[in-house]
Amino acid sequence: MEAVPFDPELAAALAVISQNMPPSLTADMIPLLRTGVAPAEDLTLGGIVDLTDVDLGDGVSLLVCRPVAAPETASVVYWIHGGGMILGDNRVGLADPLAWAVELGLVVVSVDYRLAPEHPDPTPVEDCYRGLVHVAEHAADLGIDPARIIVGGGSAGGGLAAGTVLLARDRGGPEVLGQLLVCPMLDDRNETVSSHQMSGRGIWDRTSNETGWTALLGDRRGGPDVSIYASPSRATDLSGLPPAFIDVGSAETFRDEDVAYATAIWQSGGQAELHVWPGGFHGFDLMVPQAALSQRAKQARVDWLRRLLGR
Amino acid sequence: MRELVGRLAALDPDASTAVQVIAYFDRLAEGRAGVEATVRGVAVLAGCAARLADEERGVFLRVRPDGHRDDHAGPASDDWPRRRAGDVELVLEKPGPPTPVDLMALERGVALARDVLDRTRGRAPDPALVELVVDASAGETARLRAARRLRLGEQARAIALPDGGVLVEPHPEGRHVLGDSRAGVGPVVPVARLPRSYADAKVALRFADDVLGPRVVRFDELGGLAEVAAAIGSGAVPSPDVVVLNGLPMWALETLHAFVHSASLRTAATRLTLHHSTLVDRLGRAEQLLGWEVREPDGRFRLRLAFALRRLHAHPE
Repeated sequence: MEAVPFDPELAAALAVISQNMPPSLTADMIPLLRTGVAPAEDLTLGGIVDLTDVDLGDGVSLLVCRPVAAPETASVVYWIHGGGMILGDNRVGLADPLAWAVELGLVVVSVDYRLAPEHPDPTPVEDCYRGLVHVAEHAADLGIDPARIIVGGGSAGGGLAAGTVLLARDRGGPEVLGQLLVCPMLDDRNETVSSHQMSGRGIWDRTSNETGWTALLGDRRGGPDVSIYASPSRATDLSGLPPAFIDVGSAETFRDEDVAYATAIWQSGGQAELHVWPGGFHGFDLMVPQAALSQRAKQARVDWLRRLLGR
Repeated sequence: MRELVGRLAALDPDASTAVQVIAYFDRLAEGRAGVEATVRGVAVLAGCAARLADEERGVFLRVRPDGHRDDHAGPASDDWPRRRAGDVELVLEKPGPPTPVDLMALERGVALARDVLDRTRGRAPDPALVELVVDASAGETARLRAARRLRLGEQARAIALPDGGVLVEPHPEGRHVLGDSRAGVGPVVPVARLPRSYADAKVALRFADDVLGPRVVRFDELGGLAEVAAAIGSGAVPSPDVVVLNGLPMWALETLHAFVHSASLRTAATRLTLHHSTLVDRLGRAEQLLGWEVREPDGRFRLRLAFALRRLHAHPE
């Protein structure tokens, strides 16, 4: 099958990235990958963001990031980090959420959920949901408006965000204002055209995807016994959800499942804004933030947040 | 997964080796990434704003180290590192001696930017000079002087573009890649007669069509059709054959057009990516809508003429 070409500027950068980050990751590489995550940058952004850790017990915690200039009762982005369900923590990949926080006067709450394979499904999504409930119930303490909580995340975090929002709907949990799903990992079945098409290319190909989902679901991966909260693509009823923002590259594994998710939301009578960035590989805007396409992708998210928040 | 690489930005200057810098610009070149992407690569690698100027072509652009385009430039300093290739100059906005990565980025960047500009802009001339050189009401002395400044040599031709656009290029070496939009190509003439070439180019442009094609039409290949153009002015009433064509559905138009402009049915089928028998079937149905047989020489000529007339009506002057 012919692969989708990468954007020329991204392709040049990908060649450099691929030397450190092959497209296909396998389970035996997990320990090494965990040591390879770069240390977090200065999350206070030079002192203009206050940071507070909130321990929820059982190895779950929240990092509350409040710009000093944020209003007393602020809107919240409840952020779920990526890392294929197997990597990362709640201090990694916060550059963009913190930039939104400063620009739009938001509080960012980043959840440290427990990772697979040590903590398989449903632990990760339940941890994320527990953190969301905590934020809503402690709104006054946290100085946030419980009616203005946006749930978001990138990659695996985007999938967990979608699952968390489904849990909130089905359990009558916190009211969610919007869901910001950045190239989300939504479908454990791993059988879309794009997952085959981009095999061995770019970032997080179908082999990596199988590695991540198998860590989360074990033998259940791809079978009948997987919940919609673990794998939101399996949901057939997407009605009653808050407005969604979904973006994805045209040259990545997740393209088809992410487009399908937006389509399913529309078909259920919901609201979704979908961006498919031409020639984008998985996570292109994070890894090559300076590229023209990355600038456009980042701007689209800020624009959506502004409209959602009425800013 | 996105976080895995974390802060290892693809072009972290500290992590870049000479080999990676060269490979990065080579890949930009392979992918035809454009001049802004080139300057952006230089800015990111050097960790400072980079500006590119080509006064000859009137090009200026500046990119900040975060990759954002920002042409609001302060005054340049003489001690900033710079590199020139032909008329193109690339400057790093930082004082002091350049690092090895700076030097490499400047060298590869300016070479690539020059190649890109040569390819995409040609030698972009002053539009006023181009207008002058094709202006029949201007004096010959002024036109010849303009032609020299445009470095057109002895022989040249004019190219007419939609909305009054005009290009000129020397013969035999061309300067412009055509095909992105409609274009009419005038005949090669001694430079003093470029107004004539431009008038003919405008006639050719009327036969160019960006839906069915051809997008680029050469006056030299029109033959007697050029005379027909004069008869179809902006007020002309379309002949019945043109009215019939205008009423056809797109599939029929495409079928007939491909057929009448191909040497054989097989070529037409290939052009339309249809099976031969499908084409024959479609052609039969299209003929019924049209009202005449097109597979005989007379009917074929009538159809060809109808298509030509249709383009003239669509582009009056």
